Amino acid sequence: MQLTDFFQFHAPTKIVYGPGLARDLEAELNDLKARRIFVITDSHVQQMDFYQATIDGINRTGARVVGVFSDVPANSGLKTVKQGSALGAELKADSILAIGGGSVIDTAKGVNAEMSLAGDLMTDFCGTHTMPHPLNPLIVIPTTAGTGSEVTLVAVIMNEEEKTKMAFVDRYLVPNLAVLDPEVTLSMPPYLTASTGMDAMAHAVEAYLGVDASPYSDALALQAMVMIRDNIVRACQDGQNIKARGNMLVAGNLAGVAFSHSMVGVGHGMAHSCGGLCGVPHGVANHILLPYAMRYNLDACEDRLGVLARLFFIKGTGLTGRELAEKAIDAIFELQRELAGVAGMPVRLSQVGVKEEDLPDIATATLSDGTCIYNPREVVFEEVLQSLKEAF
Amino acid sequence: MAVFENSDVLEKILGGFFRLLSDTPEVADKLIKAKLVIKFHYTEPDLTLTVDCSGDKVEISANDDTKKPTVEMFMKAEIAHKFWYGKVNLTAALARRQMTAKGPIPKIMALLPAIKPAYAMYPKYLDENGFEKYNIHK
Repeated sequence: MQLTDFFQFHAPTKIVYGPGLARDLEAELNDLKARRIFVITDSHVQQMDFYQATIDGINRTGARVVGVFSDVPANSGLKTVKQGSALGAELKADSILAIGGGSVIDTAKGVNAEMSLAGDLMTDFCGTHTMPHPLNPLIVIPTTAGTGSEVTLVAVIMNEEEKTKMAFVDRYLVPNLAVLDPEVTLSMPPYLTASTGMDAMAHAVEAYLGVDASPYSDALALQAMVMIRDNIVRACQDGQNIKARGNMLVAGNLAGVAFSHSMVGVGHGMAHSCGGLCGVPHGVANHILLPYAMRYNLDACEDRLGVLARLFFIKGTGLTGRELAEKAIDAIFELQRELAGVAGMPVRLSQVGVKEEDLPDIATATLSDGTCIYNPREVVFEEVLQSLKEAF
Repeated sequence: MAVFENSDVLEKILGGFFRLLSDTPEVADKLIKAKLVIKFHYTEPDLTLTVDCSGDKVEISANDDTKKPTVEMFMKAEIAHKFWYGKVNLTAALARRQMTAKGPIPKIMALLPAIKPAYAMYPKYLDENGFEKYNIHK
Protein backbone atom coordinates (compact mmCIF):
# COMPACT_ATOMS: atom_id res chain seq x y z
CA MET A 1 0.00 0.00 0.00
CA GLN A 2 1.00 3.60 -0.49
CA LEU A 3 1.92 5.00 2.92
CA THR A 4 1.33 8.65 3.69
CA ASP A 5 4.36 10.83 4.49
CA PHE A 6 3.41 10.89 8.15
CA PHE A 7 1.17 9.04 10.53
CA GLN A 8 1.04 8.37 14.22
CA PHE A 9 -0.83 6.00 16.46
CA HIS A 10 -1.49 6.85 20.07
CA ALA A 11 -4.38 5.17 21.86
CA PRO A 12 -3.90 5.88 25.57
CA THR A 13 -7.38 4.90 26.79
CA LYS A 14 -7.46 1.71 28.84
CA ILE A 15 -10.31 -0.38 27.45
CA VAL A 16 -11.99 -3.08 29.51
CA TYR A 17 -14.75 -5.31 28.18
CA GLY A 18 -17.16 -7.65 29.92
CA PRO A 19 -20.88 -8.23 30.50
CA GLY A 20 -21.76 -6.84 33.94
CA LEU A 21 -18.43 -5.05 34.30
CA ALA A 22 -20.01 -1.66 35.03
CA ARG A 23 -21.12 -2.97 38.42
CA ASP A 24 -17.58 -3.75 39.54
CA LEU A 25 -14.96 -1.12 38.74
CA GLU A 26 -12.91 -1.30 41.93
CA ALA A 27 -9.66 -2.39 40.29
CA GLU A 28 -9.89 0.24 37.57
CA LEU A 29 -10.81 3.06 39.96
CA ASN A 30 -7.87 2.17 42.22
CA ASP A 31 -5.53 2.41 39.23
CA LEU A 32 -6.81 5.89 38.43
CA LYS A 33 -6.78 7.11 42.03
CA ALA A 34 -10.32 8.39 41.48
CA ARG A 35 -11.91 9.04 44.89
CA ARG A 36 -14.52 11.77 44.55
CA ILE A 37 -16.40 10.87 41.42
CA PHE A 38 -18.79 13.24 39.67
CA VAL A 39 -21.27 11.37 37.49
CA ILE A 40 -22.50 12.95 34.26
CA THR A 41 -25.43 11.24 32.59
CA ASP A 42 -28.92 11.92 31.26
CA SER A 43 -32.33 11.46 32.81
CA HIS A 44 -33.15 8.48 30.58
CA VAL A 45 -30.05 6.52 31.60
CA GLN A 46 -30.76 7.32 35.24
CA GLN A 47 -34.00 5.32 35.01
CA MET A 48 -32.28 2.17 33.77
CA ASP A 49 -31.65 -0.80 36.07
CA PHE A 50 -27.90 -0.96 35.57
CA TYR A 51 -27.46 2.71 36.53
CA GLN A 52 -28.10 2.37 40.25
CA ALA A 53 -26.15 -0.91 40.32
CA THR A 54 -23.19 0.97 38.85
CA ILE A 55 -23.41 3.77 41.41
CA ASP A 56 -23.80 1.27 44.25
CA GLY A 57 -20.81 -0.67 42.95
CA ILE A 58 -18.63 2.45 43.06
CA ASN A 59 -19.78 3.36 46.56
CA ARG A 60 -18.72 -0.09 47.79
CA THR A 61 -15.12 0.66 46.80
CA GLY A 62 -12.76 3.20 48.39
CA ALA A 63 -14.23 5.77 46.01
CA ARG A 64 -17.61 7.44 46.22
CA VAL A 65 -20.00 9.28 43.99
CA VAL A 66 -20.10 12.89 45.26
CA GLY A 67 -22.81 14.09 42.91
CA VAL A 68 -24.74 13.53 39.71
CA PHE A 69 -25.47 15.91 36.83
CA SER A 70 -28.20 14.44 34.69
CA ASP A 71 -29.45 17.44 32.72
CA VAL A 72 -27.65 16.54 29.51
CA PRO A 73 -29.88 16.84 26.43
CA ALA A 74 -29.28 15.32 23.01
CA ASN A 75 -26.92 17.58 21.02
CA SER A 76 -25.65 19.08 24.26
CA GLY A 77 -24.31 22.61 24.26
CA LEU A 78 -21.94 25.04 25.93
CA LYS A 79 -24.57 26.12 28.48
CA THR A 80 -24.94 22.54 29.69
CA VAL A 81 -21.17 22.24 30.01
CA LYS A 82 -21.10 25.42 32.09
CA GLN A 83 -23.83 24.10 34.43
CA GLY A 84 -22.04 20.78 34.81
CA SER A 85 -18.62 22.26 35.53
CA ALA A 86 -20.07 24.66 38.12
CA LEU A 87 -21.66 21.76 39.97
CA GLY A 88 -18.55 19.58 39.69
CA ALA A 89 -16.37 22.35 41.12
CA GLU A 90 -18.81 22.95 43.97
CA LEU A 91 -18.69 19.24 44.81
CA LYS A 92 -14.87 19.27 44.73
CA ALA A 93 -14.87 16.21 42.50
CA ASP A 94 -11.49 14.77 41.53
CA SER A 95 -12.71 12.68 38.60
CA ILE A 96 -15.66 12.27 36.25
CA LEU A 97 -17.67 9.23 35.26
CA ALA A 98 -19.72 9.68 32.10
CA ILE A 99 -22.55 7.18 31.62
CA GLY A 100 -24.41 7.67 28.37
CA GLY A 101 -24.16 8.21 24.65
CA GLY A 102 -22.17 10.70 22.59
CA SER A 103 -23.83 13.83 23.94
CA VAL A 104 -23.18 12.83 27.56
CA ILE A 105 -19.59 11.80 26.86
CA ASP A 106 -18.73 14.96 24.94
CA THR A 107 -20.35 17.06 27.66
CA ALA A 108 -18.22 15.24 30.24
CA LYS A 109 -15.10 16.03 28.21
CA GLY A 110 -16.03 19.71 28.19
CA VAL A 111 -16.85 19.72 31.91
CA ASN A 112 -13.57 17.95 32.67
CA ALA A 113 -11.63 20.57 30.71
CA GLU A 114 -13.29 23.47 32.51
CA MET A 115 -12.88 21.85 35.94
CA SER A 116 -9.28 20.73 35.42
CA LEU A 117 -7.99 23.86 33.71
CA ALA A 118 -10.12 26.48 35.47
CA GLY A 119 -10.99 28.21 32.22
CA ASP A 120 -13.87 28.77 29.87
CA LEU A 121 -14.27 26.02 27.30
CA MET A 122 -15.25 28.28 24.42
CA THR A 123 -12.99 31.25 25.14
CA ASP A 124 -9.88 29.42 26.24
CA PHE A 125 -9.90 25.96 24.69
CA CYS A 126 -11.83 26.00 21.43
CA GLY A 127 -9.56 24.80 18.64
CA THR A 128 -6.86 22.18 18.34
CA HIS A 129 -4.46 21.22 21.13
CA THR A 130 -5.00 24.32 23.21
CA MET A 131 -5.01 22.62 26.62
CA PRO A 132 -1.84 23.19 28.65
CA HIS A 133 -1.77 20.05 30.79
CA PRO A 134 -3.54 16.72 31.41
CA LEU A 135 -7.05 16.76 32.85
CA ASN A 136 -8.54 14.89 35.80
CA PRO A 137 -9.35 11.21 35.25
CA LEU A 138 -12.31 10.65 32.95
CA ILE A 139 -14.05 7.29 32.99
CA VAL A 140 -16.65 6.47 30.36
CA ILE A 141 -19.35 3.82 30.24
CA PRO A 142 -20.94 4.14 26.78
CA THR A 143 -24.59 3.15 26.74
CA THR A 144 -24.86 3.24 22.97
CA ALA A 145 -22.69 1.37 20.49
CA GLY A 146 -21.53 3.90 17.95
CA THR A 147 -20.19 7.24 19.08
CA GLY A 148 -16.67 6.01 19.83
CA SER A 149 -16.26 9.14 21.93
CA GLU A 150 -15.03 6.99 24.83
CA VAL A 151 -11.67 6.74 23.03
CA THR A 152 -11.40 9.90 20.93
CA LEU A 153 -9.61 13.20 21.37
CA VAL A 154 -12.59 15.13 20.08
CA ALA A 155 -15.61 16.70 21.73
CA VAL A 156 -18.38 18.12 19.55
CA ILE A 157 -20.50 20.58 21.49
CA MET A 158 -23.26 22.86 20.27
CA ASN A 159 -22.81 26.61 20.38
CA GLU A 160 -26.46 27.40 21.03
CA GLU A 161 -26.16 31.05 20.02
CA GLU A 162 -24.62 30.38 16.62
CA LYS A 163 -26.47 27.08 16.04
CA THR A 164 -23.11 25.53 15.19
CA LYS A 165 -21.47 22.39 16.45
CA MET A 166 -18.09 23.37 17.83
CA ALA A 167 -15.17 20.93 17.64
CA PHE A 168 -12.66 20.72 20.44
CA VAL A 169 -9.64 18.62 19.54
CA ASP A 170 -7.01 17.89 22.15
CA ARG A 171 -4.91 14.93 23.20
CA TYR A 172 -5.88 15.63 26.81
CA LEU A 173 -9.58 15.13 26.07
CA VAL A 174 -9.02 11.40 25.50
CA PRO A 175 -10.72 9.50 28.36
CA ASN A 176 -8.53 7.45 30.68
CA LEU A 177 -10.81 4.44 30.94
CA ALA A 178 -13.53 3.04 28.67
CA VAL A 179 -15.77 0.39 30.21
CA LEU A 180 -17.45 -1.66 27.50
CA ASP A 181 -20.29 -3.53 29.17
CA PRO A 182 -22.77 -4.89 26.63
CA GLU A 183 -25.41 -5.37 29.33
CA VAL A 184 -25.89 -1.60 29.54
CA THR A 185 -26.87 -1.51 25.87
CA LEU A 186 -29.49 -4.29 26.07
CA SER A 187 -32.44 -1.95 26.46
CA MET A 188 -31.59 0.23 23.46
CA PRO A 189 -34.60 0.24 21.12
CA PRO A 190 -34.07 -0.85 17.50
CA TYR A 191 -34.13 2.72 16.16
CA LEU A 192 -31.33 3.86 18.47
CA THR A 193 -29.41 0.62 17.90
CA ALA A 194 -29.53 1.21 14.16
CA SER A 195 -28.71 4.92 14.20
CA THR A 196 -25.78 4.62 16.60
CA GLY A 197 -24.56 1.51 14.78
CA MET A 198 -24.62 3.36 11.46
CA ASP A 199 -22.79 6.24 13.11
CA ALA A 200 -20.05 3.72 13.89
CA MET A 201 -20.20 2.42 10.32
CA ALA A 202 -19.78 5.98 9.05
CA HIS A 203 -16.79 6.47 11.36
CA ALA A 204 -15.19 3.30 10.06
CA VAL A 205 -15.87 3.97 6.37
CA GLU A 206 -14.78 7.60 6.47
CA ALA A 207 -11.69 6.75 8.56
CA TYR A 208 -10.78 4.16 5.91
CA LEU A 209 -11.30 6.56 2.99
CA GLY A 210 -9.76 9.65 4.61
CA VAL A 211 -6.48 11.34 3.68
CA ASP A 212 -4.89 10.49 7.01
CA ALA A 213 -5.70 6.76 6.89
CA SER A 214 -2.77 4.59 7.98
CA PRO A 215 -2.27 0.82 8.27
CA TYR A 216 -3.19 1.17 11.94
CA SER A 217 -6.47 2.99 11.41
CA ASP A 218 -7.24 0.74 8.42
CA ALA A 219 -6.93 -2.42 10.51
CA LEU A 220 -9.32 -1.11 13.14
CA ALA A 221 -11.77 0.41 10.65
CA LEU A 222 -12.03 -2.76 8.56
CA GLN A 223 -12.54 -4.96 11.61
CA ALA A 224 -15.21 -2.56 12.86
CA MET A 225 -17.02 -2.76 9.50
CA VAL A 226 -16.99 -6.58 9.60
CA MET A 227 -18.43 -6.65 13.11
CA ILE A 228 -21.13 -4.11 12.23
CA ARG A 229 -21.96 -5.92 9.00
CA ASP A 230 -22.49 -9.16 10.92
CA ASN A 231 -24.34 -7.79 13.93
CA ILE A 232 -26.28 -4.57 13.37
CA VAL A 233 -29.44 -6.16 11.97
CA ARG A 234 -29.32 -8.94 14.56
CA ALA A 235 -28.96 -6.41 17.39
CA CYS A 236 -31.99 -4.52 16.07
CA GLN A 237 -34.08 -7.66 15.71
CA ASP A 238 -33.09 -9.21 19.03
CA GLY A 239 -32.08 -6.55 21.52
CA GLN A 240 -31.34 -9.13 24.24
CA ASN A 241 -28.71 -10.88 22.12
CA ILE A 242 -25.66 -10.20 24.28
CA LYS A 243 -23.28 -11.50 21.62
CA ALA A 244 -24.59 -9.09 18.98
CA ARG A 245 -24.64 -6.26 21.53
CA GLY A 246 -21.04 -7.00 22.54
CA ASN A 247 -19.91 -7.06 18.94
CA MET A 248 -21.60 -3.74 18.20
CA LEU A 249 -20.12 -2.13 21.31
CA VAL A 250 -16.61 -3.25 20.42
CA ALA A 251 -17.10 -2.30 16.76
CA GLY A 252 -18.11 1.22 17.75
CA ASN A 253 -15.04 1.41 19.94
CA LEU A 254 -12.68 0.16 17.19
CA ALA A 255 -14.18 2.65 14.75
CA GLY A 256 -13.68 5.34 17.38
CA VAL A 257 -9.97 4.60 17.71
CA ALA A 258 -9.70 4.51 13.91
CA PHE A 259 -11.33 7.88 13.31
CA SER A 260 -9.58 9.46 16.26
CA HIS A 261 -6.46 8.99 14.11
CA SER A 262 -7.56 9.40 10.51
CA MET A 263 -10.63 11.53 11.21
CA VAL A 264 -13.79 11.60 9.10
CA GLY A 265 -14.83 13.44 5.96
CA VAL A 266 -17.60 15.11 4.04
CA GLY A 267 -20.29 12.69 5.27
CA HIS A 268 -19.73 13.86 8.82
CA GLY A 269 -19.43 17.44 7.62
CA MET A 270 -22.92 17.19 6.14
CA ALA A 271 -24.23 15.33 9.19
CA HIS A 272 -22.86 17.96 11.60
CA SER A 273 -24.50 20.68 9.53
CA CYS A 274 -27.85 18.84 9.43
CA GLY A 275 -27.61 18.50 13.21
CA GLY A 276 -26.63 22.11 13.81
CA LEU A 277 -29.15 23.72 11.47
CA CYS A 278 -32.09 21.29 11.47
CA GLY A 279 -31.65 19.26 14.66
CA VAL A 280 -31.22 15.92 12.89
CA PRO A 281 -29.76 13.40 15.36
CA HIS A 282 -26.15 12.67 14.48
CA GLY A 283 -26.48 8.92 13.95
CA VAL A 284 -29.61 9.33 11.82
CA ALA A 285 -27.91 11.95 9.66
CA ASN A 286 -24.87 9.71 9.18
CA HIS A 287 -27.10 6.76 8.36
CA ILE A 288 -28.83 8.73 5.60
CA LEU A 289 -25.76 10.50 4.23
CA LEU A 290 -23.08 7.80 4.30
CA PRO A 291 -23.70 6.32 0.82
CA TYR A 292 -23.86 9.81 -0.70
CA ALA A 293 -20.56 10.70 0.96
CA MET A 294 -19.04 7.51 -0.48
CA ARG A 295 -20.35 8.45 -3.93
CA TYR A 296 -18.91 11.96 -3.50
CA ASN A 297 -15.50 10.37 -3.01
CA LEU A 298 -15.83 7.69 -5.67
CA ASP A 299 -13.30 9.25 -8.07
CA ALA A 300 -10.67 9.57 -5.35
CA CYS A 301 -11.18 6.20 -3.65
CA GLU A 302 -12.07 3.64 -6.27
CA ASP A 303 -9.59 1.04 -5.00
CA ARG A 304 -10.51 1.45 -1.36
CA LEU A 305 -14.22 1.28 -2.11
CA GLY A 306 -13.46 -1.91 -3.99
CA VAL A 307 -12.02 -3.38 -0.79
CA LEU A 308 -15.24 -2.46 1.00
CA ALA A 309 -17.30 -4.13 -1.73
CA ARG A 310 -15.47 -7.42 -1.13
CA LEU A 311 -16.08 -6.98 2.57
CA PHE A 312 -19.78 -7.01 1.74
CA PHE A 313 -19.34 -10.35 -0.07
CA ILE A 314 -19.36 -8.85 -3.57
CA LYS A 315 -17.16 -10.77 -5.97
CA GLY A 316 -15.20 -8.64 -8.41
CA THR A 317 -15.24 -11.10 -11.29
CA GLY A 318 -16.00 -9.35 -14.56
CA LEU A 319 -16.34 -5.94 -12.94
CA THR A 320 -14.18 -2.89 -13.55
CA GLY A 321 -12.64 -1.19 -10.51
CA ARG A 322 -15.27 1.52 -10.73
CA GLU A 323 -18.14 -0.94 -10.98
CA LEU A 324 -16.83 -2.78 -7.93
CA ALA A 325 -16.52 0.51 -6.02
CA GLU A 326 -20.12 1.37 -6.95
CA LYS A 327 -21.19 -2.00 -5.54
CA ALA A 328 -19.81 -0.95 -2.13
CA ILE A 329 -22.07 2.10 -2.23
CA ASP A 330 -24.99 -0.11 -3.27
CA ALA A 331 -24.25 -2.39 -0.30
CA ILE A 332 -24.65 0.54 2.09
CA PHE A 333 -27.92 1.52 0.38
CA GLU A 334 -29.06 -2.09 0.81
CA LEU A 335 -28.12 -2.01 4.50
CA GLN A 336 -30.09 1.25 4.83
CA ARG A 337 -33.16 -0.46 3.39
CA GLU A 338 -32.73 -3.43 5.72
CA LEU A 339 -32.54 -1.11 8.72
CA ALA A 340 -35.58 0.80 7.51
CA GLY A 341 -37.40 -2.53 7.64
CA VAL A 342 -36.21 -3.80 11.03
CA ALA A 343 -35.82 -0.49 12.87
CA GLY A 344 -37.94 2.04 10.99
CA MET A 345 -34.91 4.08 9.99
CA PRO A 346 -35.55 7.00 7.64
CA VAL A 347 -33.60 6.97 4.41
CA ARG A 348 -34.12 10.53 3.18
CA LEU A 349 -33.42 13.95 4.70
CA SER A 350 -36.98 15.00 3.91
CA GLN A 351 -38.16 12.39 6.44
CA VAL A 352 -36.24 13.94 9.34
CA GLY A 353 -37.37 17.55 9.30
CA VAL A 354 -34.98 18.96 6.71
CA LYS A 355 -36.68 21.28 4.22
CA GLU A 356 -35.53 21.69 0.66
CA GLU A 357 -34.81 25.37 1.26
CA ASP A 358 -32.42 24.36 4.08
CA LEU A 359 -30.09 22.51 1.71
CA PRO A 360 -27.98 25.51 0.53
CA ASP A 361 -27.36 26.55 4.14
CA ILE A 362 -26.41 22.97 5.05
CA ALA A 363 -24.00 22.88 2.11
CA THR A 364 -22.46 26.20 3.15
CA ALA A 365 -22.01 24.99 6.72
CA THR A 366 -20.48 21.74 5.47
CA LEU A 367 -17.74 23.62 3.66
CA SER A 368 -16.55 25.18 6.88
CA ASP A 369 -16.79 22.00 8.94
CA GLY A 370 -13.47 20.88 10.37
CA THR A 371 -13.81 17.44 8.81
CA CYS A 372 -13.41 18.75 5.26
CA ILE A 373 -9.63 18.90 5.33
CA TYR A 374 -9.57 15.15 5.91
CA ASN A 375 -11.83 14.31 3.00
CA PRO A 376 -10.09 12.58 0.08
CA ARG A 377 -11.69 14.96 -2.44
CA GLU A 378 -11.97 18.71 -2.25
CA VAL A 379 -15.25 19.70 -0.66
CA VAL A 380 -17.02 22.02 -3.10
CA PHE A 381 -20.33 23.81 -2.52
CA GLU A 382 -22.08 22.79 -5.74
CA GLU A 383 -21.15 19.11 -5.33
CA VAL A 384 -22.14 19.00 -1.67
CA LEU A 385 -25.45 20.62 -2.55
CA GLN A 386 -25.95 18.01 -5.25
CA SER A 387 -25.27 15.20 -2.74
CA LEU A 388 -27.72 16.75 -0.29
CA LYS A 389 -30.37 17.03 -3.01
CA GLU A 390 -29.88 13.36 -3.85
CA ALA A 391 -30.25 12.47 -0.16
CA PHE A 392 -33.29 14.70 0.22
CA MET B 1 19.29 27.68 13.16
CA ALA B 2 16.09 29.62 12.51
CA VAL B 3 15.24 30.41 8.88
CA PHE B 4 14.69 34.11 9.65
CA GLU B 5 17.45 36.01 11.43
CA ASN B 6 15.24 38.19 13.60
CA SER B 7 11.73 39.53 14.09
CA ASP B 8 12.32 42.51 11.81
CA VAL B 9 13.24 40.26 8.90
CA LEU B 10 10.26 38.03 9.61
CA GLU B 11 7.92 41.03 9.72
CA LYS B 12 9.32 42.34 6.44
CA ILE B 13 8.87 39.00 4.71
CA LEU B 14 5.63 37.57 6.12
CA GLY B 15 4.08 40.96 6.86
CA GLY B 16 4.95 42.02 3.33
CA PHE B 17 3.45 38.85 1.95
CA PHE B 18 0.22 39.38 3.85
CA ARG B 19 0.09 42.94 2.52
CA LEU B 20 0.52 41.56 -0.99
CA LEU B 21 -2.36 39.15 -0.36
CA SER B 22 -4.49 41.98 0.96
CA ASP B 23 -3.89 43.82 -2.34
CA THR B 24 -4.82 40.75 -4.38
CA PRO B 25 -8.58 40.84 -4.98
CA GLU B 26 -8.79 37.09 -5.71
CA VAL B 27 -7.68 36.42 -2.12
CA ALA B 28 -8.70 39.59 -0.29
CA ASP B 29 -12.34 39.54 -1.41
CA LYS B 30 -12.83 36.09 0.12
CA LEU B 31 -11.03 37.05 3.32
CA ILE B 32 -13.23 40.13 3.75
CA LYS B 33 -16.30 37.95 3.25
CA ALA B 34 -15.18 35.80 6.21
CA LYS B 35 -15.16 38.89 8.49
CA LEU B 36 -12.48 37.44 10.75
CA VAL B 37 -9.59 38.84 12.71
CA ILE B 38 -6.80 36.28 12.61
CA LYS B 39 -3.73 36.58 14.78
CA PHE B 40 -0.63 34.57 13.89
CA HIS B 41 1.78 33.96 16.75
CA TYR B 42 5.23 33.09 15.46
CA THR B 43 8.21 31.88 17.45
CA GLU B 44 11.90 31.60 16.50
CA PRO B 45 11.90 34.57 16.02
CA ASP B 46 8.97 35.98 17.97
CA LEU B 47 6.39 38.04 16.12
CA THR B 48 2.64 38.36 15.95
CA LEU B 49 0.87 39.42 12.80
CA THR B 50 -2.79 40.34 12.90
CA VAL B 51 -4.79 40.05 9.71
CA ASP B 52 -7.96 42.07 10.21
CA CYS B 53 -10.63 41.22 7.65
CA SER B 54 -13.51 42.66 9.65
CA GLY B 55 -13.82 45.87 7.63
CA ASP B 56 -13.96 46.87 3.98
CA LYS B 57 -10.31 46.02 3.38
CA VAL B 58 -7.73 43.68 4.86
CA GLU B 59 -5.46 45.38 7.40
CA ILE B 60 -2.15 43.91 8.53
CA SER B 61 -0.46 44.90 11.78
CA ALA B 62 2.50 43.55 13.72
CA ASN B 63 2.59 42.95 17.49
CA ASP B 64 -0.82 44.54 17.77
CA ASP B 65 -2.63 43.84 21.03
CA THR B 66 -5.47 46.27 20.39
CA LYS B 67 -7.49 43.98 18.14
CA LYS B 68 -9.42 41.04 19.56
CA PRO B 69 -8.80 38.04 17.32
CA THR B 70 -11.54 35.65 16.24
CA VAL B 71 -9.00 32.91 15.66
CA GLU B 72 -5.36 32.55 16.62
CA MET B 73 -2.74 30.32 15.05
CA PHE B 74 0.51 29.38 16.79
CA MET B 75 3.59 28.03 15.00
CA LYS B 76 7.32 28.42 14.48
CA ALA B 77 8.22 30.90 11.75
CA GLU B 78 9.86 28.07 9.82
CA ILE B 79 6.58 26.14 9.69
CA ALA B 80 4.79 29.26 8.43
CA HIS B 81 7.47 29.69 5.76
CA LYS B 82 7.02 26.10 4.60
CA PHE B 83 3.24 26.41 4.81
CA TRP B 84 3.20 29.25 2.29
CA TYR B 85 5.26 27.07 -0.01
CA GLY B 86 2.51 24.47 0.21
CA LYS B 87 5.05 22.16 1.83
CA VAL B 88 3.28 21.61 5.14
CA ASN B 89 0.77 18.83 5.39
CA LEU B 90 -1.84 20.70 7.39
CA THR B 91 -3.45 17.63 8.95
CA ALA B 92 -0.08 16.24 10.02
CA ALA B 93 1.03 19.64 11.35
CA LEU B 94 -2.12 19.85 13.46
CA ALA B 95 -1.73 16.26 14.68
CA ARG B 96 1.93 16.86 15.62
CA ARG B 97 1.09 20.19 17.22
CA GLN B 98 3.50 22.00 14.88
CA MET B 99 0.51 24.26 14.39
CA THR B 100 -2.20 24.87 16.91
CA ALA B 101 -5.40 26.76 16.34
CA LYS B 102 -7.39 28.60 18.97
CA GLY B 103 -10.92 29.61 18.15
CA PRO B 104 -13.76 28.18 16.13
CA ILE B 105 -12.20 25.58 13.84
CA PRO B 106 -14.96 25.89 11.18
CA LYS B 107 -14.08 29.53 10.65
CA ILE B 108 -10.43 28.64 10.18
CA MET B 109 -11.29 25.86 7.74
CA ALA B 110 -13.45 28.21 5.70
CA LEU B 111 -10.35 30.24 4.88
CA LEU B 112 -8.42 27.43 3.25
CA PRO B 113 -9.99 27.75 -0.21
CA ALA B 114 -9.46 31.53 -0.05
CA ILE B 115 -5.71 31.25 0.40
CA LYS B 116 -5.14 28.62 -2.27
CA PRO B 117 -3.64 31.07 -4.83
CA ALA B 118 -1.16 32.22 -2.18
CA TYR B 119 0.96 29.08 -2.41
CA ALA B 120 2.07 29.91 -5.95
CA MET B 121 2.52 33.59 -5.10
CA TYR B 122 4.93 33.12 -2.19
CA PRO B 123 8.13 31.98 -3.97
CA LYS B 124 7.55 34.56 -6.69
CA TYR B 125 7.07 37.24 -4.04
CA LEU B 126 10.35 36.30 -2.35
CA ASP B 127 12.27 36.52 -5.61
CA GLU B 128 10.74 39.81 -6.68
CA ASN B 129 11.28 41.56 -3.36
CA GLY B 130 14.93 40.85 -2.65
CA PHE B 131 14.32 37.80 -0.45
CA GLU B 132 15.73 35.24 -2.93
CA LYS B 133 17.94 33.63 -0.30
CA TYR B 134 14.82 32.47 1.55
CA ASN B 135 13.44 30.75 -1.51
CA ILE B 136 13.86 27.08 -0.68
CA HIS B 137 13.60 26.19 -4.35
CA LYS B 138 16.90 27.98 -5.06
